[in-house]
Amino acid sequence: MATSEPRTRRFSRAEYERLIDLGVFQPGEPIELIGGELTVAEPQGAAHYTALVKAAKALEAAFGPGWHARTQGPIGLDDDSEPEPDVAVVPGSPDDYGRAHPSRPVLTVEVAESSLAVDRQHKGSLYARAGLADYWVLNLVDRVLEVYREPVPDPAAPFGWRYARRDVLDARARVTPLAAPGSSIPVARLLP
Amino acid sequence: MKQAERPGLRRWTRREYARLIDHGFLDEDDPIELLDGLLLVKEPQSSPHRTAVLLVAKALEAAFGEGWFVQTQSPIVLDDRSEPEPDVCVVRGAPRDYVDAHPARPALIVEVAHSGLGLARGRKAAAYARAGVADYWIVNLVERTLEVHREPARPGPARGHWGYAVVETLVAGDTIAPLAAPSASLRIADLLP
Repeated sequence: MATSEPRTRRFSRAEYERLIDLGVFQPGEPIELIGGELTVAEPQGAAHYTALVKAAKALEAAFGPGWHARTQGPIGLDDDSEPEPDVAVVPGSPDDYGRAHPSRPVLTVEVAESSLAVDRQHKGSLYARAGLADYWVLNLVDRVLEVYREPVPDPAAPFGWRYARRDVLDARARVTPLAAPGSSIPVARLLP
Repeated sequence: MKQAERPGLRRWTRREYARLIDHGFLDEDDPIELLDGLLLVKEPQSSPHRTAVLLVAKALEAAFGEGWFVQTQSPIVLDDRSEPEPDVCVVRGAPRDYVDAHPARPALIVEVAHSGLGLARGRKAAAYARAGVADYWIVNLVERTLEVHREPARPGPARGHWGYAVVETLVAGDTIAPLAAPSASLRIADLLP
């Protein structure tokens, strides 16, 4: 349709969590709150899920004790955002988040096939605004890892911020998370 | 510049919409309407907008007469995911006929649009056409015209979405007869603020 996006009712994170508690959504609905908008993720294919599991395993091994990798778990990012990134590395153990979602993952990974443009620009801008220092897009279309770092303000970006640095690593390269500087992960180990 | 692609929005059903109201997330005075599952924020009411709504309502009351009533900015039911509040619509019967459920089959819907022109011609026209609304008018405050949309048409080779096959633009000097009140004759000049 040749019309611009209409303005829709925005929800705060507190409202969103209340909607979940009230059981308004169907169980397992792939919903995320992104900048006040309730968005739905597309169904994921076998390659997407495989990449997500491989990335989580590789990152748990690279970070070691004292960290864990959440898969598609909610992140309390800001007052109007509660995304569920494919993988998010956070300090501590799962029990540390029994009462509230973590808010600042040290590494956030989205696995992207059909969602590539959204993950790069829309979510990239949201994560940059929240100050997430290390954001990876595992690009299954081109079989590369895109590493985004150094959030900077940019009025033209969807949420007013973007990442200044973007490195594209192919399957032969290795990658080191900012928060696990002693590690080195073969990109091939993340790809399905 | 090419606009960044956006993620798809979660669509709400009418039942869920009712729960949002019950739980106090929305109240009846919120400028929100449910259209094709989206909780749309309505265009703010300028004075010309309000004036046009009143003029159209008054003219249609007179044109339709007994056996019909005109409601303004009140909900109607289109389908499981749409409960819009058109600026004006003409409904068969009397207000008490709809104590238990909102009207579902308006004979005529009129939207008054200025900044919301794109929405009125796009998503709203698509939703009204899909629901089989035979007569849909847009009072275009920008160009001071009346756009008459008729003959709902399903998506096909010619169009990517539901819409109206016949769209006629009338100016102040023209007259119009609603499909459901064929003997009436309304002057467009009487509908414009």
